[in-house]
Amino acid sequence: MLKVDNVKKAFGQTTVLDGVNLTVNPGEVVSILGSSGSGKSTLIRCINGLEKLNAGRITVDDFDVSKPKELAEARKRSATVFQLFNLYPHMTALQNITLAPVEVLKRPKAEVEAEGRALLQSVGLGDRADAYPAQLSGGQRQRVGICRALAMKPRYLLLDEVTSALDPEMTAEVLDILAKLAKSGTTMVFVTHEIEFARQISNRIVFLEKGKLLVDLPTAEFFAADGGLAQPRVAQFLSKMRKD
Amino acid sequence: MRYTEFTPFDLWLLAQGLGVTIGLFLVTSLIGLLLGALWGVIRFYRVPVLTQVITFIAEILKNSPVLVQLFLVFFGFPAFFKLNMTPVNAAIITLSLNTAAFVYVIAVSSIESIGRDQIEAARVFGLTRWQVLRHVIAPQALAFSIGPLTALLVNQLQVTSLISVIGVMDLSKIGANLNLRTLKPFIVWTAVGILYYLSAKLVATLGAKLEKRLRAHSAFRGL
Amino acid sequence: MRLDLTILAPHLGFLAQGALLTAEVCALALIGSVILGMLVAIARTSQLKWLNGLAFAYVDLFRNIPFIVQLFFFYYGLPELGIYIDAFTTGVVALSIAGGAHASDVIRAGILAIDNGIIEAAEVSGLPRRVIFSKIVLPIALRTSVRPLGSVLINMILTSSILSTITLNELTGNAKIVASDTFRPFEVYVVLLVVYAALTYLVSIGITLLHRWLNRDMQEQVS
Repeated sequence: MLKVDNVKKAFGQTTVLDGVNLTVNPGEVVSILGSSGSGKSTLIRCINGLEKLNAGRITVDDFDVSKPKELAEARKRSATVFQLFNLYPHMTALQNITLAPVEVLKRPKAEVEAEGRALLQSVGLGDRADAYPAQLSGGQRQRVGICRALAMKPRYLLLDEVTSALDPEMTAEVLDILAKLAKSGTTMVFVTHEIEFARQISNRIVFLEKGKLLVDLPTAEFFAADGGLAQPRVAQFLSKMRKD
Repeated sequence: MRYTEFTPFDLWLLAQGLGVTIGLFLVTSLIGLLLGALWGVIRFYRVPVLTQVITFIAEILKNSPVLVQLFLVFFGFPAFFKLNMTPVNAAIITLSLNTAAFVYVIAVSSIESIGRDQIEAARVFGLTRWQVLRHVIAPQALAFSIGPLTALLVNQLQVTSLISVIGVMDLSKIGANLNLRTLKPFIVWTAVGILYYLSAKLVATLGAKLEKRLRAHSAFRGL
Repeated sequence: MRLDLTILAPHLGFLAQGALLTAEVCALALIGSVILGMLVAIARTSQLKWLNGLAFAYVDLFRNIPFIVQLFFFYYGLPELGIYIDAFTTGVVALSIAGGAHASDVIRAGILAIDNGIIEAAEVSGLPRRVIFSKIVLPIALRTSVRPLGSVLINMILTSSILSTITLNELTGNAKIVASDTFRPFEVYVVLLVVYAALTYLVSIGITLLHRWLNRDMQEQVS
């Protein structure tokens, strides 16, 4: 279980997260929506330990991310896919995927490589295992990023606006893969602007506004007039997004 | 009678050596700056033949050891041109030319870093090449080049130490003499090192201050 | 006095030997500089204040003191400590320490230029710091640092001429001997200048090729 407990985070004078509570159970697919600056990405970055909390507690399967030794364990159980891919430029797609399983999980290289190739195959990049990131398109790079995350067999998959840097065609490629993952039972927490997609694959939707978690409802209720839409900010946000 | 111990007079000797080093550094830097800037202007005007010759000479000077350049001037010139050459003269000629070569490169790159569009605009308004150089390019190029020039001069200060090899009584030569006499290399060379270090820091600090002032000036003109 | 380069002919073999020694010294010193440079660069980007400060002091000191002073410090000083090493080893050590200071600045710049996101991806997947440095940071930083490290090497080749002052028989040292044997210092040193310039030119071409080869997979091909 992933537990975010009354978390506060500020950058200098600006409060970005103001007492956020969230619980994610294994198998759930949770989308985090909200306008820019609402704190969505920061929340993900707090969960995977890139940002330190000012107050509150986050535990991944009971490992406290604020404690260095426990953070290492927490990081073995989660994997992140980034908006800007963040692939290692000097390594091939396959090497990107196999680095962490070999070095962190201490798994045998041959085994990891075989799995890596299978993963690449499943996202349609079976023949690009030895390509370098510079030789791949944005959509392909993100697919490699997803494989890299999956190779760690994470309990929790964190996705930080993973299609925001892609054009519509590539976005569709990636969303397809994410939809498959959601169906297969992977626990996913993702920050996104793709409202329709969130609606289709999530169990729950969470809405952040100025660092506060305003709504946390199952998908159907979120989009219901007497549920999520009852909140004026949510209705406003959704209508703006749909217009675009 | 051999004075193998240090005496207060040795401090005076070190001071003299430092004086020679600084003096030659200033003279050769000045000549080098003027000469290098002149070469830069020649290239700006794209003077045929002369530009290529200058570029070639500058490349050789930049890409060969200063020690060899010193040997060429001090040993080679008297033999070939049948003239007299004192160590100090050889030092001045060599270091000035060497500095000029590096200043030339900095001048060329700072002139080139000023957008062509500014130069074109000025020309279209009827300004002559000289006026463009004087009013548009020079002030900006100067501001750009202070940083690299300071780094260059700090380096050239270190380079002056080589003139000790051809016998100039600079700080390094005094150090070598003291070392020979007292046989206390750690004390001697540490003292010499500290003096060079402090001088280098002085040059660097002055350069930084100058850059601040010049940059402030250009920023204001930008209004 | 006419220029007569033919008198150098019988001495070419001897000069070639000197050039070989120069190459050996520089090759070893390059390895030493890069290793030292990497260690110091890592120290400079460390969180530990004392390590950071120590590394900074080392770089600052050895970049602001003339090489000849550093060389004499080691050459005359080490025997005082009971360390007796020959001129060749002293030369390699001195060049490595001086070169390491320059190399560390270059590598440090390369490390700082790495996209933060890449380091974040590595941290988040649980990779320990040691592995992040050895498998991600250094491989990327060294690839981007090839060109400036090439400049360090070229500088080292030119600086190696100063080793002639501690009676090492490298290129400049041997040239001095030839100059006094033939009584033709002008011809000898002119040729020497050109040889060094040609050598550095070849090295810079080699560096460009190496840079292209090492970065061949990192050139953006798809927009």
